[in-house]
Amino acid sequence: MNLLKKTMVSLGLLALALSSAQAQNKELVVGSSATYRPFAYETPSKEIVGYDVDMIKAIAQKAGLQIKIINTPWTGIFAALNNGDVDLVISGVTINEKRKQSYDFTSPYFEARQLIAVQQASTVKNLKDLAGKKVGVVTGSTGDDIASREFGKTSPDIRRFESTPVVISELVNSGVDAAIGDNGVIAFRVQEHKSLKTVADANFPKEYFGIVVKQGNKVLLDKLNAGLVAVKADGSYAQIYKQWFQAEAPALPAQ
Amino acid sequence: MEPILWFGWFRADIIAEYAMLFWRGLQMTVTVTVICIVQGTALGLAVGMARLAEARHSPARQLCTYALRWPSTVYVSFFRGTPLFVQILLIHFAVLPLFVNPADGLLISGELARSLKQNYGAFLSGVIALTLNAGAYISEIFRAGIQSIDRGQSEAARSLGMSYRRTMFHVILPQAFRRMLPPLGNNAIALLKDSSLISAIGLAELAYAARTVAGAYSRYWEPYLVISLMYWVMTLGLAYAVRRLEARYGRGDTR
Repeated sequence: MNLLKKTMVSLGLLALALSSAQAQNKELVVGSSATYRPFAYETPSKEIVGYDVDMIKAIAQKAGLQIKIINTPWTGIFAALNNGDVDLVISGVTINEKRKQSYDFTSPYFEARQLIAVQQASTVKNLKDLAGKKVGVVTGSTGDDIASREFGKTSPDIRRFESTPVVISELVNSGVDAAIGDNGVIAFRVQEHKSLKTVADANFPKEYFGIVVKQGNKVLLDKLNAGLVAVKADGSYAQIYKQWFQAEAPALPAQ
Repeated sequence: MEPILWFGWFRADIIAEYAMLFWRGLQMTVTVTVICIVQGTALGLAVGMARLAEARHSPARQLCTYALRWPSTVYVSFFRGTPLFVQILLIHFAVLPLFVNPADGLLISGELARSLKQNYGAFLSGVIALTLNAGAYISEIFRAGIQSIDRGQSEAARSLGMSYRRTMFHVILPQAFRRMLPPLGNNAIALLKDSSLISAIGLAELAYAARTVAGAYSRYWEPYLVISLMYWVMTLGLAYAVRRLEARYGRGDTR
């Protein structure tokens, strides 16, 4: 009986030691949807690059974490986090109340704002000017929320598409009068098309992108936040920002 | 709006909130389907006959081969050999902008092109793609139907002095039509379901309504279950109509 007890205890200790060793060297899997240039996209050689990728690499280095980035489709990215396929998500995810109820976010690593894209000749100055015009958005995006609130959820003037490039194509072909989307992506796409320009509406609220972890994963969240603080402090954040957006990096709130 | 729960899990309120989108989507799906069935059948008849065109003497013989049989064979091969989804995107984002474009459309340009694209762009592209696709399949049904009629029938008609035209429309096609009804019905049902693919280019039909709701609430059961039932009821109706037609035209066969 005593022997059995001893064996079980030692086995338990062994398992504990093994699992803690594993936890220390474990490579964390990062999910990112690589169709969101310039935040994350695949190069022809299947390498995932972008602002998000550079940021998470810098953060992981500061926090002493081993990471592996996996291209995860946007539609299934939160499911992948829930069932443990990925340990964290960095994919241009806007921090909002609805998402905070189900997941935990790090402090912001990017300041996002909605931006309107129109044809060069357009006289649109702000969101209100879009009344009665056809507006293209990505289904379920922040742009969709704004347009739905402004023009009505079931308004036929709102045209919803699956991705930003499709919305921009539709705008270039005059299928819609304007497109609303995240500033980073819209600005990047607009600079590709000479016939388009962007319009900033000062009334659009400031938003932030955060890194997402499973709710309650405080250990990982703290490590990531510490890494983020270090990345902001030593100037890597400003440098990465400048590299991808050719602009000075805005100051980010600590929470 | 207060959440309304049916059976403890079905959020009826979000469907009610988007009811207009579903109702207009239903109308759009029915409209597209009816137009494409009619046009696709007409196109299918023309192409099916073109594929069977034969003449004994020059130059009609060469004309039949190079102006009718070859082009129609290539057409059928292309539209049966490529995915409908790809055809819709190709027509909407590449082919149609070539012809209808505010800047330099080959067919229509200027303000008319702009308003046409904004109000009917996705509808036009979708109907064209679906009609061309259905025409290819239906032409095969016609070809098989016509070829299934005993050669003696047309020989008898021709020997009675009937022209090719009269032989075709008064002797061959009425008999062939009876045999073609079941596959034509199948095709109509496929067409109704395939119309959901047009939502990718932003046409506000049933699948678009469901996608909008799913995007806004991240709930998938409610919207997709609702449209599944709507599609199912419609296909049941179509199947019933085809059965009635079969019974009606089948009467001639019973002796």
